[in-house]
Amino acid sequence: MINDVWIAGGAMTPFNRRKDGSSFRDWARVVVSGALQDAGLEARDIDGLVVASESDFFTLQLNPSALLADECGLAGVAAKRVEGGGASGHVAVQAGVADVASGLARRVMVLGLEPSASHLAGLDVGALYALSFDAWTDGMTGIDSTSLYALSALAFMERTGARHEDFARVAVRNRAHARHNPNAHLPLDISLGDVISSPVVASPYHRLDCSPLSDGAAAIILSCKADLPLLSRRRTRFRATAGATDTVRLGERTDPGFFAGKRHAANRAYKMADVTPADIDLAEVYDSYSGAQLQAIEALKLAPNVLQADRDGVFDTAGALPVNLSGGLLGQGGPVGATGVAQIMTAAFQLEGRYVGQRPARTPKLALVDTHGGIATLNCVSILESR
Amino acid sequence: MNHHMRLNYTLPEGDLKLYFAALHRGDALASECSSCGDVAYPARVLCRICGSESVGWVNLSGKANVVQRVDGRNSSYALVRFTGADTLSTVALINPTSQVSTGQLSKPPADRPGLWLTLDRTLKEDAHV
Repeated sequence: MINDVWIAGGAMTPFNRRKDGSSFRDWARVVVSGALQDAGLEARDIDGLVVASESDFFTLQLNPSALLADECGLAGVAAKRVEGGGASGHVAVQAGVADVASGLARRVMVLGLEPSASHLAGLDVGALYALSFDAWTDGMTGIDSTSLYALSALAFMERTGARHEDFARVAVRNRAHARHNPNAHLPLDISLGDVISSPVVASPYHRLDCSPLSDGAAAIILSCKADLPLLSRRRTRFRATAGATDTVRLGERTDPGFFAGKRHAANRAYKMADVTPADIDLAEVYDSYSGAQLQAIEALKLAPNVLQADRDGVFDTAGALPVNLSGGLLGQGGPVGATGVAQIMTAAFQLEGRYVGQRPARTPKLALVDTHGGIATLNCVSILESR
Repeated sequence: MNHHMRLNYTLPEGDLKLYFAALHRGDALASECSSCGDVAYPARVLCRICGSESVGWVNLSGKANVVQRVDGRNSSYALVRFTGADTLSTVALINPTSQVSTGQLSKPPADRPGLWLTLDRTLKEDAHV
Protein backbone atom coordinates (compact mmCIF):
# COMPACT_ATOMS: atom_id res chain seq x y z
CA MET A 1 0.00 0.00 0.00
CA ILE A 2 1.08 3.57 -0.62
CA ASN A 3 1.30 5.03 2.84
CA ASP A 4 1.98 8.70 2.67
CA VAL A 5 1.10 10.49 -0.57
CA TRP A 6 -1.68 13.06 -0.22
CA ILE A 7 -3.49 15.52 -2.44
CA ALA A 8 -2.80 19.01 -1.14
CA GLY A 9 -5.09 20.80 -3.59
CA GLY A 10 -6.17 21.12 -7.18
CA ALA A 11 -7.81 23.20 -9.86
CA MET A 12 -9.10 22.86 -13.39
CA THR A 13 -10.30 25.08 -16.21
CA PRO A 14 -13.60 24.48 -17.92
CA PHE A 15 -13.26 21.78 -20.59
CA ASN A 16 -14.66 23.03 -23.89
CA ARG A 17 -13.70 24.26 -27.34
CA ARG A 18 -11.93 27.57 -26.74
CA LYS A 19 -13.07 30.45 -28.86
CA ASP A 20 -11.57 33.22 -26.73
CA GLY A 21 -8.09 33.23 -28.27
CA SER A 22 -6.45 31.77 -25.17
CA SER A 23 -3.75 29.10 -25.45
CA PHE A 24 -2.63 26.11 -23.41
CA ARG A 25 -0.02 28.33 -21.76
CA ASP A 26 -2.79 30.55 -20.39
CA TRP A 27 -4.76 27.57 -19.10
CA ALA A 28 -1.64 26.19 -17.43
CA ARG A 29 -1.08 29.43 -15.50
CA VAL A 30 -4.70 29.46 -14.37
CA VAL A 31 -4.68 25.94 -12.96
CA VAL A 32 -1.22 26.13 -11.39
CA SER A 33 -2.21 29.33 -9.62
CA GLY A 34 -5.57 27.80 -8.67
CA ALA A 35 -4.02 24.63 -7.29
CA LEU A 36 -1.53 26.62 -5.19
CA GLN A 37 -4.36 28.74 -3.81
CA ASP A 38 -6.51 25.70 -3.11
CA ALA A 39 -3.64 24.04 -1.27
CA GLY A 40 -2.62 27.14 0.67
CA LEU A 41 0.87 27.00 -0.84
CA GLU A 42 3.23 29.35 -2.69
CA ALA A 43 5.11 28.63 -5.90
CA ARG A 44 8.35 28.45 -3.90
CA ASP A 45 6.91 25.49 -1.95
CA ILE A 46 6.88 23.34 -5.11
CA ASP A 47 10.06 21.44 -6.00
CA GLY A 48 8.79 19.06 -8.68
CA LEU A 49 6.68 19.47 -11.83
CA VAL A 50 5.23 16.67 -13.91
CA VAL A 51 3.51 17.74 -17.12
CA ALA A 52 1.06 15.54 -18.99
CA SER A 53 0.56 16.28 -22.67
CA GLU A 54 -0.20 13.57 -25.18
CA SER A 55 1.37 15.02 -28.28
CA ASP A 56 3.75 17.73 -29.38
CA PHE A 57 1.59 17.96 -32.49
CA PHE A 58 -1.18 19.50 -30.40
CA THR A 59 0.96 22.04 -28.54
CA LEU A 60 3.65 22.51 -31.22
CA GLN A 61 6.05 22.61 -28.30
CA LEU A 62 8.80 20.12 -27.57
CA ASN A 63 10.21 20.06 -24.05
CA PRO A 64 6.96 21.52 -22.66
CA SER A 65 7.71 20.94 -18.98
CA ALA A 66 10.64 23.39 -18.96
CA LEU A 67 8.57 25.95 -20.82
CA LEU A 68 5.62 25.56 -18.47
CA ALA A 69 7.79 25.71 -15.34
CA ASP A 70 9.01 29.03 -16.63
CA GLU A 71 5.57 30.25 -17.70
CA CYS A 72 3.91 29.27 -14.41
CA GLY A 73 6.43 30.78 -12.02
CA LEU A 74 7.97 27.44 -11.11
CA ALA A 75 11.41 27.95 -12.69
CA GLY A 76 14.03 26.02 -10.78
CA VAL A 77 11.92 22.94 -10.06
CA ALA A 78 12.84 19.48 -11.30
CA ALA A 79 10.56 19.03 -14.32
CA LYS A 80 9.54 16.30 -16.68
CA ARG A 81 6.82 15.52 -19.19
CA VAL A 82 5.17 12.11 -19.35
CA GLU A 83 2.85 10.58 -21.93
CA GLY A 84 0.61 7.54 -22.08
CA GLY A 85 -1.96 8.27 -24.78
CA GLY A 86 -5.38 8.91 -23.32
CA ALA A 87 -4.01 8.01 -19.89
CA SER A 88 -1.27 10.67 -20.01
CA GLY A 89 -2.75 12.65 -17.11
CA HIS A 90 -3.06 9.60 -14.90
CA VAL A 91 0.46 8.46 -15.80
CA ALA A 92 1.69 11.91 -14.75
CA VAL A 93 -0.08 11.54 -11.42
CA GLN A 94 1.60 8.17 -10.97
CA ALA A 95 4.98 9.78 -11.70
CA GLY A 96 4.23 12.46 -9.12
CA VAL A 97 3.18 9.88 -6.55
CA ALA A 98 6.43 8.00 -7.17
CA ASP A 99 8.47 11.20 -6.71
CA VAL A 100 6.82 11.99 -3.38
CA ALA A 101 6.81 8.40 -2.09
CA SER A 102 10.48 7.96 -2.93
CA GLY A 103 11.51 11.26 -1.42
CA LEU A 104 12.76 12.66 -4.73
CA ALA A 105 10.48 15.64 -4.17
CA ARG A 106 8.54 17.16 -1.26
CA ARG A 107 5.69 18.76 -3.15
CA VAL A 108 4.95 17.95 -6.78
CA MET A 109 2.73 19.92 -9.12
CA VAL A 110 1.07 17.57 -11.63
CA LEU A 111 -0.12 19.64 -14.57
CA GLY A 112 -2.16 18.12 -17.37
CA LEU A 113 -3.25 19.98 -20.48
CA GLU A 114 -4.21 19.50 -24.08
CA PRO A 115 -5.38 21.84 -26.81
CA SER A 116 -7.30 19.01 -28.53
CA ALA A 117 -10.09 21.11 -29.96
CA SER A 118 -9.08 24.57 -31.11
CA HIS A 119 -5.41 24.46 -32.12
CA LEU A 120 -5.75 21.95 -34.99
CA ALA A 121 -8.50 21.12 -37.46
CA GLY A 122 -10.72 18.23 -36.37
CA LEU A 123 -9.64 16.02 -39.27
CA ASP A 124 -5.98 16.56 -38.38
CA VAL A 125 -6.64 15.65 -34.74
CA GLY A 126 -8.46 12.52 -35.90
CA ALA A 127 -5.56 11.55 -38.14
CA LEU A 128 -3.14 11.99 -35.22
CA TYR A 129 -5.32 9.93 -32.87
CA ALA A 130 -5.23 7.10 -35.43
CA LEU A 131 -1.52 6.86 -34.59
CA SER A 132 -2.47 5.92 -31.00
CA PHE A 133 -2.65 2.28 -32.10
CA ASP A 134 -0.06 0.29 -34.05
CA ALA A 135 0.67 3.06 -36.53
CA TRP A 136 2.49 0.73 -38.96
CA THR A 137 -0.32 -1.81 -39.27
CA ASP A 138 -3.77 -0.75 -38.02
CA GLY A 139 -2.91 2.92 -38.42
CA MET A 140 -1.91 2.53 -42.08
CA THR A 141 -5.45 1.47 -43.01
CA GLY A 142 -6.61 4.96 -42.07
CA ILE A 143 -8.81 3.56 -39.32
CA ASP A 144 -10.03 6.07 -36.74
CA SER A 145 -10.52 5.75 -32.98
CA THR A 146 -14.29 5.41 -33.24
CA SER A 147 -14.07 2.51 -35.68
CA LEU A 148 -11.56 0.62 -33.53
CA TYR A 149 -13.63 1.20 -30.38
CA ALA A 150 -16.68 0.08 -32.36
CA LEU A 151 -15.00 -3.19 -33.37
CA SER A 152 -14.24 -3.81 -29.69
CA ALA A 153 -17.78 -2.84 -28.68
CA LEU A 154 -19.28 -5.25 -31.22
CA ALA A 155 -17.31 -8.11 -29.67
CA PHE A 156 -18.52 -7.01 -26.20
CA MET A 157 -22.13 -6.91 -27.44
CA GLU A 158 -21.84 -10.34 -29.01
CA ARG A 159 -20.49 -11.88 -25.79
CA THR A 160 -22.73 -10.12 -23.27
CA GLY A 161 -25.93 -9.46 -25.21
CA ALA A 162 -25.57 -5.70 -24.72
CA ARG A 163 -27.75 -3.58 -27.02
CA HIS A 164 -27.18 -0.10 -28.34
CA GLU A 165 -29.85 1.06 -25.88
CA ASP A 166 -27.51 0.01 -23.07
CA PHE A 167 -24.79 2.23 -24.50
CA ALA A 168 -27.23 5.09 -25.08
CA ARG A 169 -28.33 4.96 -21.43
CA VAL A 170 -24.73 5.71 -20.39
CA ALA A 171 -24.55 8.60 -22.86
CA VAL A 172 -27.74 10.11 -21.45
CA ARG A 173 -26.78 9.64 -17.79
CA ASN A 174 -23.27 11.08 -18.08
CA ARG A 175 -24.57 14.15 -19.94
CA ALA A 176 -27.19 14.58 -17.19
CA HIS A 177 -24.45 14.42 -14.54
CA ALA A 178 -22.52 17.03 -16.50
CA ARG A 179 -25.42 19.49 -16.18
CA HIS A 180 -24.39 19.98 -12.52
CA ASN A 181 -20.74 20.52 -13.45
CA PRO A 182 -19.78 24.13 -14.26
CA ASN A 183 -16.63 22.91 -16.05
CA ALA A 184 -18.40 20.47 -18.36
CA HIS A 185 -18.14 20.59 -22.14
CA LEU A 186 -21.44 18.84 -22.94
CA PRO A 187 -24.04 19.36 -20.19
CA LEU A 188 -26.96 18.06 -22.23
CA ASP A 189 -30.56 17.22 -21.47
CA ILE A 190 -31.03 14.37 -23.94
CA SER A 191 -33.07 11.19 -24.23
CA LEU A 192 -32.31 7.66 -25.36
CA GLY A 193 -34.09 8.52 -28.58
CA ASP A 194 -31.80 11.51 -29.13
CA VAL A 195 -28.74 9.26 -28.89
CA ILE A 196 -30.18 6.52 -31.08
CA SER A 197 -31.33 8.98 -33.74
CA SER A 198 -28.09 10.98 -33.80
CA PRO A 199 -25.95 10.38 -36.91
CA VAL A 200 -24.01 7.12 -37.11
CA VAL A 201 -20.26 7.67 -36.85
CA ALA A 202 -19.18 4.03 -36.96
CA SER A 203 -21.78 1.39 -36.16
CA PRO A 204 -22.84 0.83 -33.37
CA TYR A 205 -21.62 4.26 -32.27
CA HIS A 206 -23.66 7.34 -33.02
CA ARG A 207 -22.47 10.91 -32.54
CA LEU A 208 -23.89 11.19 -29.00
CA ASP A 209 -22.12 7.96 -27.98
CA CYS A 210 -18.77 9.71 -28.53
CA SER A 211 -16.86 12.00 -26.17
CA PRO A 212 -15.90 15.40 -27.59
CA LEU A 213 -12.49 16.82 -28.45
CA SER A 214 -11.89 19.39 -25.71
CA ASP A 215 -9.42 22.05 -24.68
CA GLY A 216 -8.43 22.50 -21.06
CA ALA A 217 -6.04 21.98 -18.18
CA ALA A 218 -6.03 20.58 -14.65
CA ALA A 219 -3.47 20.52 -11.85
CA ILE A 220 -3.09 18.82 -8.49
CA ILE A 221 -0.38 19.10 -5.86
CA LEU A 222 0.97 15.98 -4.15
CA SER A 223 2.94 15.80 -0.90
CA CYS A 224 3.59 13.75 2.21
CA LYS A 225 1.28 14.44 5.15
CA ALA A 226 3.98 16.31 7.02
CA ASP A 227 4.32 18.71 4.10
CA LEU A 228 0.61 19.51 3.83
CA PRO A 229 -0.37 23.03 4.88
CA LEU A 230 -2.49 23.20 8.02
CA LEU A 231 -6.02 23.46 6.65
CA SER A 232 -9.06 22.30 8.55
CA ARG A 233 -10.63 20.05 5.97
CA ARG A 234 -10.74 16.40 5.08
CA ARG A 235 -7.79 15.18 3.05
CA THR A 236 -7.35 12.53 0.40
CA ARG A 237 -4.51 10.07 0.17
CA PHE A 238 -3.55 7.41 -2.36
CA ARG A 239 -4.06 3.85 -1.18
CA ALA A 240 -2.93 2.48 -4.53
CA THR A 241 -1.99 3.44 -8.06
CA ALA A 242 -1.25 0.73 -10.60
CA GLY A 243 -0.90 0.16 -14.31
CA ALA A 244 -0.91 -2.58 -16.93
CA THR A 245 -0.80 -2.84 -20.71
CA ASP A 246 -2.62 -5.01 -23.23
CA THR A 247 -1.53 -5.93 -26.76
CA VAL A 248 -1.59 -2.89 -29.01
CA ARG A 249 -3.22 -4.70 -31.94
CA LEU A 250 -6.88 -5.40 -31.20
CA GLY A 251 -6.74 -8.58 -33.29
CA GLU A 252 -4.12 -10.17 -31.06
CA ARG A 253 -6.39 -10.13 -28.00
CA THR A 254 -8.11 -13.33 -26.92
CA ASP A 255 -11.37 -11.38 -26.74
CA PRO A 256 -11.24 -8.00 -28.52
CA GLY A 257 -14.30 -6.96 -26.51
CA PHE A 258 -12.72 -7.50 -23.08
CA PHE A 259 -10.36 -4.95 -21.50
CA ALA A 260 -7.86 -7.49 -20.15
CA GLY A 261 -5.13 -4.90 -19.49
CA LYS A 262 -7.55 -2.89 -17.38
CA ARG A 263 -8.45 -6.03 -15.44
CA HIS A 264 -4.73 -6.57 -14.67
CA ALA A 265 -4.31 -2.95 -13.55
CA ALA A 266 -7.40 -3.17 -11.34
CA ASN A 267 -6.28 -6.41 -9.73
CA ARG A 268 -2.92 -4.83 -8.93
CA ALA A 269 -4.61 -1.75 -7.48
CA TYR A 270 -7.04 -3.74 -5.31
CA LYS A 271 -4.16 -5.84 -3.99
CA MET A 272 -1.98 -2.81 -3.33
CA ALA A 273 -4.81 -1.01 -1.54
CA ASP A 274 -5.85 -4.17 0.34
CA VAL A 275 -9.49 -3.64 -0.63
CA THR A 276 -12.03 -5.47 -2.78
CA PRO A 277 -14.21 -4.04 -5.56
CA ALA A 278 -17.16 -4.16 -3.15
CA ASP A 279 -15.39 -1.61 -0.92
CA ILE A 280 -15.45 1.08 -3.63
CA ASP A 281 -18.04 3.83 -3.00
CA LEU A 282 -17.59 5.98 -6.11
CA ALA A 283 -15.78 5.74 -9.43
CA GLU A 284 -14.58 8.01 -12.21
CA VAL A 285 -14.21 5.72 -15.22
CA TYR A 286 -12.73 6.33 -18.69
CA ASP A 287 -15.76 6.66 -20.96
CA SER A 288 -14.32 7.82 -24.25
CA TYR A 289 -17.34 6.08 -25.77
CA SER A 290 -20.59 5.06 -24.10
CA GLY A 291 -19.98 1.35 -24.54
CA ALA A 292 -16.42 1.70 -23.28
CA GLN A 293 -17.81 2.70 -19.86
CA LEU A 294 -19.61 -0.64 -19.59
CA GLN A 295 -16.53 -2.49 -20.83
CA ALA A 296 -14.45 -0.63 -18.22
CA ILE A 297 -16.82 -1.37 -15.34
CA GLU A 298 -16.77 -5.03 -16.32
CA ALA A 299 -12.96 -5.13 -16.38
CA LEU A 300 -12.73 -3.25 -13.06
CA LYS A 301 -14.97 -5.91 -11.45
CA LEU A 302 -17.29 -3.21 -10.09
CA ALA A 303 -20.39 -5.32 -10.81
CA PRO A 304 -20.90 -9.07 -11.25
CA ASN A 305 -23.21 -8.38 -14.21
CA VAL A 306 -22.51 -4.93 -15.58
CA LEU A 307 -25.52 -4.79 -17.91
CA GLN A 308 -28.02 -5.78 -15.23
CA ALA A 309 -26.43 -3.43 -12.71
CA ASP A 310 -26.56 -0.56 -15.19
CA ARG A 311 -30.19 -1.28 -16.06
CA ASP A 312 -30.98 -1.40 -12.30
CA GLY A 313 -29.52 2.04 -11.68
CA VAL A 314 -26.53 0.91 -9.59
CA PHE A 315 -24.31 3.55 -11.25
CA ASP A 316 -26.78 6.44 -10.91
CA THR A 317 -26.28 9.28 -8.43
CA ALA A 318 -28.49 7.54 -5.89
CA GLY A 319 -27.22 4.07 -6.75
CA ALA A 320 -24.91 1.85 -4.72
CA LEU A 321 -21.89 2.85 -6.82
CA PRO A 322 -22.19 6.24 -8.53
CA VAL A 323 -20.03 6.38 -11.66
CA ASN A 324 -18.85 9.49 -13.48
CA LEU A 325 -20.77 12.09 -11.49
CA SER A 326 -18.52 14.65 -13.22
CA GLY A 327 -20.10 13.63 -16.51
CA GLY A 328 -17.01 11.66 -17.49
CA LEU A 329 -15.39 12.27 -20.84
CA LEU A 330 -18.82 12.09 -22.49
CA GLY A 331 -20.12 15.01 -20.44
CA GLN A 332 -17.18 16.84 -18.90
CA GLY A 333 -15.00 16.41 -21.96
CA GLY A 334 -11.53 15.08 -22.65
CA PRO A 335 -8.53 17.34 -23.17
CA VAL A 336 -6.24 14.32 -23.13
CA GLY A 337 -3.36 15.34 -20.87
CA ALA A 338 -5.75 16.99 -18.44
CA THR A 339 -8.29 14.17 -18.32
CA GLY A 340 -6.64 11.86 -15.81
CA VAL A 341 -5.55 14.74 -13.59
CA ALA A 342 -9.12 16.08 -13.51
CA GLN A 343 -10.49 12.60 -12.78
CA ILE A 344 -8.20 12.28 -9.74
CA MET A 345 -9.05 15.79 -8.56
CA THR A 346 -12.77 15.14 -8.96
CA ALA A 347 -12.60 11.93 -6.93
CA ALA A 348 -10.55 13.65 -4.21
CA PHE A 349 -12.96 16.56 -3.94
CA GLN A 350 -15.87 14.12 -3.76
CA LEU A 351 -14.16 12.29 -0.89
CA GLU A 352 -13.48 15.59 0.84
CA GLY A 353 -17.14 16.61 0.44
CA ARG A 354 -16.34 19.75 -1.54
CA TYR A 355 -17.02 18.77 -5.15
CA VAL A 356 -18.90 21.51 -7.01
CA GLY A 357 -20.97 19.25 -9.26
CA GLN A 358 -23.24 16.27 -8.70
CA ARG A 359 -22.67 14.67 -5.27
CA PRO A 360 -23.50 11.11 -4.24
CA ALA A 361 -26.37 10.38 -1.87
CA ARG A 362 -23.95 9.27 0.83
CA THR A 363 -20.42 10.53 1.51
CA PRO A 364 -17.90 8.17 -0.10
CA LYS A 365 -14.85 6.84 1.74
CA LEU A 366 -13.07 5.05 -1.09
CA ALA A 367 -13.00 6.14 -4.72
CA LEU A 368 -11.59 4.42 -7.80
CA VAL A 369 -10.22 6.33 -10.79
CA ASP A 370 -9.68 4.57 -14.12
CA THR A 371 -8.00 5.96 -17.25
CA HIS A 372 -6.66 4.37 -20.39
CA GLY A 373 -4.88 5.04 -23.65
CA GLY A 374 -5.53 3.21 -26.93
CA ILE A 375 -8.35 0.67 -26.74
CA ALA A 376 -7.64 0.07 -23.04
CA THR A 377 -4.08 -0.65 -24.14
CA LEU A 378 -2.26 1.38 -21.47
CA ASN A 379 -4.28 1.34 -18.26
CA CYS A 380 -4.04 3.22 -14.96
CA VAL A 381 -6.15 2.57 -11.87
CA SER A 382 -5.88 4.51 -8.61
CA ILE A 383 -7.74 4.02 -5.34
CA LEU A 384 -8.15 7.08 -3.12
CA GLU A 385 -9.25 7.34 0.49
CA SER A 386 -10.40 10.29 2.58
CA ARG A 387 -9.18 10.89 6.11
CA MET B 1 -1.90 33.44 -35.88
CA ASN B 2 -1.86 30.50 -38.28
CA HIS B 3 1.17 28.29 -38.74
CA HIS B 4 1.48 25.54 -41.35
CA MET B 5 3.92 22.66 -41.09
CA ARG B 6 4.40 19.86 -43.60
CA LEU B 7 6.21 16.71 -42.50
CA ASN B 8 7.58 14.03 -44.81
CA TYR B 9 8.39 10.91 -42.86
CA THR B 10 10.56 8.01 -43.88
CA LEU B 11 9.60 4.88 -41.99
CA PRO B 12 12.41 2.31 -42.20
CA GLU B 13 10.79 -1.12 -42.12
CA GLY B 14 13.64 -2.81 -40.28
CA ASP B 15 13.05 -6.45 -39.33
CA LEU B 16 9.58 -6.33 -40.91
CA LYS B 17 11.02 -5.54 -44.36
CA LEU B 18 10.00 -8.91 -45.84
CA TYR B 19 6.47 -8.53 -44.48
CA PHE B 20 6.04 -5.10 -46.06
CA ALA B 21 7.66 -6.19 -49.35
CA ALA B 22 5.14 -9.04 -49.60
CA LEU B 23 2.27 -6.75 -48.68
CA HIS B 24 3.18 -4.34 -51.47
CA ARG B 25 2.91 -7.32 -53.89
CA GLY B 26 -0.48 -8.19 -52.42
CA ASP B 27 0.90 -11.28 -50.67
CA ALA B 28 0.24 -12.24 -47.04
CA LEU B 29 3.52 -13.12 -45.32
CA ALA B 30 2.95 -14.01 -41.67
CA SER B 31 5.38 -14.67 -38.86
CA GLU B 32 5.52 -18.17 -37.38
CA CYS B 33 7.12 -18.91 -34.03
CA SER B 34 9.51 -21.83 -34.22
CA SER B 35 9.00 -22.55 -30.52
CA CYS B 36 5.22 -22.62 -30.09
CA GLY B 37 4.01 -22.44 -33.69
CA ASP B 38 1.89 -19.29 -33.26
CA VAL B 39 1.17 -17.66 -36.61
CA ALA B 40 0.67 -13.89 -36.41
CA TYR B 41 -0.65 -11.64 -39.16
CA PRO B 42 0.33 -8.82 -39.36
CA ALA B 43 3.74 -10.30 -38.70
CA ARG B 44 5.63 -9.88 -35.43
CA VAL B 45 9.34 -9.97 -34.67
CA LEU B 46 8.78 -11.43 -31.19
CA CYS B 47 6.28 -14.20 -30.47
CA ARG B 48 3.19 -12.79 -28.72
CA ILE B 49 2.53 -16.12 -26.97
CA CYS B 50 5.88 -17.41 -25.70
CA GLY B 51 8.13 -14.39 -26.24
CA SER B 52 10.55 -16.34 -28.44
CA GLU B 53 12.79 -14.38 -30.79
CA SER B 54 13.02 -17.41 -33.01
CA VAL B 55 10.39 -16.33 -35.50
CA GLY B 56 10.31 -17.37 -39.16
CA TRP B 57 8.04 -16.62 -42.11
CA VAL B 58 5.06 -18.44 -43.59
CA ASN B 59 3.02 -17.56 -46.69
CA LEU B 60 -0.75 -17.36 -46.23
CA SER B 61 -3.26 -17.55 -49.06
CA GLY B 62 -4.58 -14.08 -48.29
CA LYS B 63 -8.16 -15.38 -47.93
CA ALA B 64 -9.95 -14.09 -44.84
CA ASN B 65 -13.23 -14.41 -42.96
CA VAL B 66 -14.88 -11.35 -41.41
CA VAL B 67 -15.37 -11.65 -37.64
CA GLN B 68 -16.59 -8.11 -36.83
CA ARG B 69 -17.36 -5.35 -39.25
CA VAL B 70 -17.93 -1.62 -38.70
CA ASP B 71 -19.40 0.74 -41.26
CA GLY B 72 -18.81 4.47 -41.02
CA ARG B 73 -19.90 7.38 -43.14
CA ASN B 74 -17.03 7.19 -45.59
CA SER B 75 -15.22 3.95 -44.87
CA SER B 76 -15.63 0.46 -43.47
CA TYR B 77 -13.27 -1.67 -41.46
CA ALA B 78 -13.30 -5.20 -40.10
CA LEU B 79 -11.59 -7.61 -37.79
CA VAL B 80 -10.88 -10.66 -39.94
CA ARG B 81 -9.11 -13.97 -39.59
CA PHE B 82 -6.77 -14.78 -42.47
CA THR B 83 -6.73 -18.49 -43.25
CA GLY B 84 -3.82 -20.05 -41.36
CA ALA B 85 -3.38 -17.16 -38.87
CA ASP B 86 -3.90 -17.48 -35.12
CA THR B 87 -4.51 -13.75 -34.71
CA LEU B 88 -7.25 -11.52 -36.01
CA SER B 89 -6.30 -8.59 -38.24
CA THR B 90 -7.72 -5.11 -38.68
CA VAL B 91 -8.44 -4.41 -42.34
CA ALA B 92 -9.93 -1.63 -44.42
CA LEU B 93 -12.68 -2.89 -46.74
CA ILE B 94 -12.16 -1.88 -50.38
CA ASN B 95 -15.72 -2.68 -51.54
CA PRO B 96 -17.93 -2.17 -48.48
CA THR B 97 -21.13 -2.37 -50.49
CA SER B 98 -20.63 -6.12 -50.49
CA GLN B 99 -22.09 -7.81 -47.42
CA VAL B 100 -20.20 -11.07 -47.98
CA SER B 101 -18.13 -12.23 -45.03
CA THR B 102 -15.16 -13.57 -46.98
CA GLY B 103 -12.51 -11.75 -48.93
CA GLN B 104 -8.98 -11.57 -50.30
CA LEU B 105 -6.01 -9.42 -49.31
CA SER B 106 -5.31 -6.71 -51.88
CA LYS B 107 -2.35 -4.48 -52.63
CA PRO B 108 -2.43 -1.40 -50.41
CA PRO B 109 -1.88 2.15 -51.69
CA ALA B 110 1.87 2.78 -51.97
CA ASP B 111 1.96 5.18 -49.03
CA ARG B 112 -0.59 3.32 -46.86
CA PRO B 113 0.84 -0.16 -46.24
CA GLY B 114 -1.99 -1.40 -44.02
CA LEU B 115 -4.16 -4.42 -44.71
CA TRP B 116 -6.82 -3.83 -47.39
CA LEU B 117 -9.39 -6.52 -48.10
CA THR B 118 -11.55 -6.98 -51.17
CA LEU B 119 -14.75 -8.73 -50.14
CA ASP B 120 -15.95 -11.57 -52.37
CA ARG B 121 -19.00 -10.91 -54.47
CA THR B 122 -22.26 -12.81 -54.26
CA LEU B 123 -23.81 -14.33 -57.39
CA LYS B 124 -26.40 -11.54 -57.20
CA GLU B 125 -23.69 -8.88 -57.13
CA ASP B 126 -21.90 -10.59 -60.03
CA ALA B 127 -25.13 -10.52 -62.00
CA HIS B 128 -25.37 -6.76 -61.48
CA VAL B 129 -21.77 -6.34 -62.62
